[in-house]
Amino acid sequence: MLKEKVKTGVPGLDEMLEGGLIAGRSYIVSGTSGTGKTTLAMQFLLEGTRKGERVVYVALDEPPNEVKSDIEALGWDIGKVQVFDATPDVMNYDKTPVRDVSTERKVVYFKDVSGVIRQTSEKSPADMTINTLQEVLKQEMRSRTYSRIVIDSLTSLKYFYIRTSEQNTTLMSFFRTLSDLGVTALLTVQLPEISKPDVESHVSRGEIRLHKWFNGRGLVRGVTIEKYRGSSHDCRLRLLKITDHGIVIKQMTEDERPAVLKPEPEIEPMHPDTEADEPPPPPKQEETAPVPPQAPQPPPPVEEQPKPDASPQGGDGI
Amino acid sequence: MSTGVPGLDEMLRGGLIAGRPYVVSGTSGSGKTTLSIQFLHDGVKRGERALMVAIDEPPVEIRENVRAMGWDVGKIRILDVHPAAKAFSKRVSLVEVAAQRSVGSLRDAGPSVKTEAMKAATPDVSVQSLQLMLKQELQETKYTRVVVDSLTSLKKLSESTGDTDEGIMSLLRFLSEARVTSLLITDLPDPTELQPEMFISRGEIRLHKRMISNRMDRFVSIEKLRGSAHDTLPRPMVITEKGIIVDPKKKISKASMRSLQAFNQ
Repeated sequence: MLKEKVKTGVPGLDEMLEGGLIAGRSYIVSGTSGTGKTTLAMQFLLEGTRKGERVVYVALDEPPNEVKSDIEALGWDIGKVQVFDATPDVMNYDKTPVRDVSTERKVVYFKDVSGVIRQTSEKSPADMTINTLQEVLKQEMRSRTYSRIVIDSLTSLKYFYIRTSEQNTTLMSFFRTLSDLGVTALLTVQLPEISKPDVESHVSRGEIRLHKWFNGRGLVRGVTIEKYRGSSHDCRLRLLKITDHGIVIKQMTEDERPAVLKPEPEIEPMHPDTEADEPPPPPKQEETAPVPPQAPQPPPPVEEQPKPDASPQGGDGI
Repeated sequence: MSTGVPGLDEMLRGGLIAGRPYVVSGTSGSGKTTLSIQFLHDGVKRGERALMVAIDEPPVEIRENVRAMGWDVGKIRILDVHPAAKAFSKRVSLVEVAAQRSVGSLRDAGPSVKTEAMKAATPDVSVQSLQLMLKQELQETKYTRVVVDSLTSLKKLSESTGDTDEGIMSLLRFLSEARVTSLLITDLPDPTELQPEMFISRGEIRLHKRMISNRMDRFVSIEKLRGSAHDTLPRPMVITEKGIIVDPKKKISKASMRSLQAFNQ
């Protein structure tokens, strides 16, 4: 009996996911900066509003007023998406006692978000922690059921609200809270230019990775499904385009494949092992959960060919 | 908001969205301070108030370099946060630090003059104390453009005072709430690490310089820019006596392009 699948709202992506995302689970959307994570996550939420669902965007990187103006610059109307401002306040270096933040920050509709950044309150410096965030989410879910949630970004959540020593346990508990709430969650993860696997890869049920690279003529974008527990999926790199109507995923043609480039001899080689144009996917042996029955081992995600003159692909976006 | 750098506004498809923090990165000598001064100068030309937070070079050196460019930068305000000679200090409250460091006009910058007492009492500069200093400054003057030169040095200086990442975020948040458009100068980021200011900033302008067969190639790339389309290709630039000029229509040399692709993902 197959579990219900949730459509992502990204044409081509649902096909890669063999129908969509399994409902009620948490997934990572990862990539370096400018690869389109926030755009994709917002498209996922908008798909929910189109079906009349309640959806919420948890803002950690950029304040809601900026997210709103950035997305509206694409021509999208996100008024019906709800948003929770979890961006950290300006620190108050006085040692005054803190008030419980959940009394001050509320979930609102994007259409009610003001055009300017929220000012940190002078009187009661709110001390947001991961526990208060979990409490807010639980409270909100008691009064109305959200079907979709986006945490943008999990990286900021880790950096600002989780102490390094407790990172693994706290993260796992956060993922557990999300799954107890029954929401289908997308959490964005910022990758450094050369990345290594991290704890999120273990704990999430799946990872969608966004890529961008130069092919001599311009910028090309791609997507891979790094992992998807409980479902078969397309393991190949596919092309990603950011159009006026949003992100669209396509098959890659031969001449669009990323090229392998070696540094010239007179220039000092920087990182000899980055001739591949995307970070290597996390090794499959690191998954702690038992591997579910899946399609047979996929071919390697990228075929590398020396093709410097691939067709130009422009692409702009968040 | 215009950057004041010809050609760069085109790469940014109109300029920078105001009120947000941006990173200007690059190796030493790539032109970051020059670009930042140009940005501040552009503000002053338009009647805005502009502030340079000087950590790497003392104001007098910045003034000399800028004079060599032939610019009159008298109206750019400068906050001298250049660390004083290491001196052992007794505990001084942060408010006193803020009172001691003063903002002067770039024109009037002379060698740092401090009384004996101040020299003895100066504690280490930190992200925390900078936020307090800026708070005082912004209460008096409505700056719309601020440059921190450099955030990298600020982080290094703050290492001893505890959680720098939180402090940096607080500083950026503070500047945004004050509706300031800020340029934060940093060294080239380590590609294996995630630095919070890099992913929190709303854009990154990266300056490059390469020696390609006895010639110095300079170019600029927009590594990221939230909320706006931007030029995805790097473009050549020159540093002239009028400052930096970018050619947004030309492509960089093949050799330089290859050197970029060797470690870009």
